[in-house]
Amino acid sequence: MGLAPILEVRDLHLRFKGVAALSGVGFTVEPGSFFAIIGPNGAGKTSLLNVLSGLYRPQSGEVRFLGRDLLPLPPPRRTRLGLGRTFQNLELFRGMTVLENVKLGAERAGPYPLLWPRADQEARVRARAEEVLEYLDLAPYRHVPAGLLPYGLQKRVEVARALAGSPRLLLLDEPMAGLAVEERQDLARYLQDARREWGVTLLWVEHDLRAVMELSERVLVLSYGQVLYHGDPEGARRDPRVQDAYLGGGA
Amino acid sequence: MWYRIARKLSETYSRRFARAVRESYAEDEAYAPTPLGRCALALFLGLLFLLPLILGPYPMYVLSLTAIAALGALGLHLLVGGAGLISLGQAAFLGIGAYTASHLSGPLAPLGVLAGGLLAALVGLVLGLPSLRIKGVYLAIATLAFQFLAILVFNNWESFTGGIRGRNLAPAEILGHPLDSPGALWYLILAFTVPLFFYGKRLLSTRAGRAWLALRDNELSAQVAGVELVPTKLSAFLLSAFYAGVAGGLLANLYRTVTPEHFLFGVSVQYLAMVIVGGAGTVLGAVLGAAFVVLVPELLNTLVGALGPAYAGALAALRNVVFGTLILAFLILEPRGLVGLWSRVRDYLRTWPLPY
Ligand SMILES: Nc1ncnc2c1ncn2[C@@H]1O[C@H](COP(=O)(O)OP(=O)(O)OP(=O)(O)O)[C@@H](O)[C@H]1O
Ligand SMILES: [Mg+2]
Repeated sequence: MGLAPILEVRDLHLRFKGVAALSGVGFTVEPGSFFAIIGPNGAGKTSLLNVLSGLYRPQSGEVRFLGRDLLPLPPPRRTRLGLGRTFQNLELFRGMTVLENVKLGAERAGPYPLLWPRADQEARVRARAEEVLEYLDLAPYRHVPAGLLPYGLQKRVEVARALAGSPRLLLLDEPMAGLAVEERQDLARYLQDARREWGVTLLWVEHDLRAVMELSERVLVLSYGQVLYHGDPEGARRDPRVQDAYLGGGA
Repeated sequence: MWYRIARKLSETYSRRFARAVRESYAEDEAYAPTPLGRCALALFLGLLFLLPLILGPYPMYVLSLTAIAALGALGLHLLVGGAGLISLGQAAFLGIGAYTASHLSGPLAPLGVLAGGLLAALVGLVLGLPSLRIKGVYLAIATLAFQFLAILVFNNWESFTGGIRGRNLAPAEILGHPLDSPGALWYLILAFTVPLFFYGKRLLSTRAGRAWLALRDNELSAQVAGVELVPTKLSAFLLSAFYAGVAGGLLANLYRTVTPEHFLFGVSVQYLAMVIVGGAGTVLGAVLGAAFVVLVPELLNTLVGALGPAYAGALAALRNVVFGTLILAFLILEPRGLVGLWSRVRDYLRTWPLPY
């Protein structure tokens, strides 16, 4: 592990009025790894991702991505640096077709002036979108408005949109939630493939402990905004504090 | 504007035969993806040029009004249907374009129309600034305030607008030829509307269109997907105002007079009605909506005229009621607007002999 970490988080504090959503959270993510964040409901997992993608501004702390300070940058700039994101509750462009959704994601790498359409860029974006659609078996739905698809496919379109931008680090907020067993297996396979072929580092928030234990290499356990555990999945299973939090949280 | 309809028709038929082709590459971003479609498009553009030879001055006048309205509606459509930002000030931008064009008329008319568009665009950019902070109803109210402010300026800035009496224009002139009939002016109108329609269509199907639609659908996730809020919103305002400004300039040359009552709040509402009736989401919608809003009152007028002057007063009031009811009926029966109706008819035709 001589490589510099792709993401470094240090001593994050985030408060909403009375509620402390994150208190002193810190961890590092190695490039190319499959990193999981688990924790009971309300632990602050989504809040953490929102801080990373720029939707929440923490009171204090530091976030470095590829060695750069992320916190002063607005969300689109972070995306352009190579930070992808999917949401816990679907946040698709429902009125746009699947293809348009994915094209918008694919544009990340080479935007051109808005009011000056460029055929070569459009063709490139289209080709990239087609590649990702093909990859995630979404090609047959390309002209369907995203909002009309069943839930499982919408989740997959969100992953496709994020992957199309060739992110270096992809943040996934409970990608498996609400999916049938088969869909979960498919999604896990897509993610593994993306990691292997495109070298995407994956940071995912998940409730499904079995999936986490099977797939992840590193685990961060959050509870009430604090880090309970940071290490390999085996250790998490044995850690008494983690067991407590999960039994106490009823999960 | 009719070329839109023709294009849609040709597209329907080409798609009926070549659906598989459109599913692979960037061809579906072309204006007419198949040879058949291209033929129909060329034919149609040719027909547009010949129209003044076929039709008399009055039909040409109504057609000109429709084409100009469609241009203004397309501009509003980019903003409302595209970026999801409501504006109640489209008429004010028409006014800015019209007054500007009234100062550069006669041989300078094409320049005047362009200048009108540019000045309107500049003002549109400024009006766009509040949209970065406020949304929905509040933004609509801000544009409403702008509309009333504009009327105030139109009424009182005598040196630029001629006040309540307004300004008169000499007929537009091209290379010494006066364009003093609707049939002749039609070519000036085409010279602006045709390229602007192609451009609008192109924008909606490329990066700008995606960014606007994304903002409309989900502002939060658009930002996370890399859409920059400020340029995206401002460009929609700028372009919408530019289209309206050009439409206003053309209107000034058609009416040959510019007075404040051409740009009242009611006109802004009419433009919004065009976008809504037409069905937000496509360029065709703007055209159909404009045709509806311009032609239906015109038809009702003719009807009233045919019944004789005795009833004219009572029927004129009834006319507005009928028109309003028709718009309401659309909103209730076909929320996707005329475009929705059209695509249903199209699907019906495509599968006509065998409904399955
Ligand atoms: N925008 C907000 N305003 C106020 N409080 C918030 C906000 N977002 C999150 N919180 C609070 O912060 C805490 C952490 O919430 P968060 O959504 O991050 O949890 P989570 O770990 O994602 O939970 P879940 O598993 O249910 O998704 C909760 O107490 C929540 O009420
Ligand atoms: Mg959450």
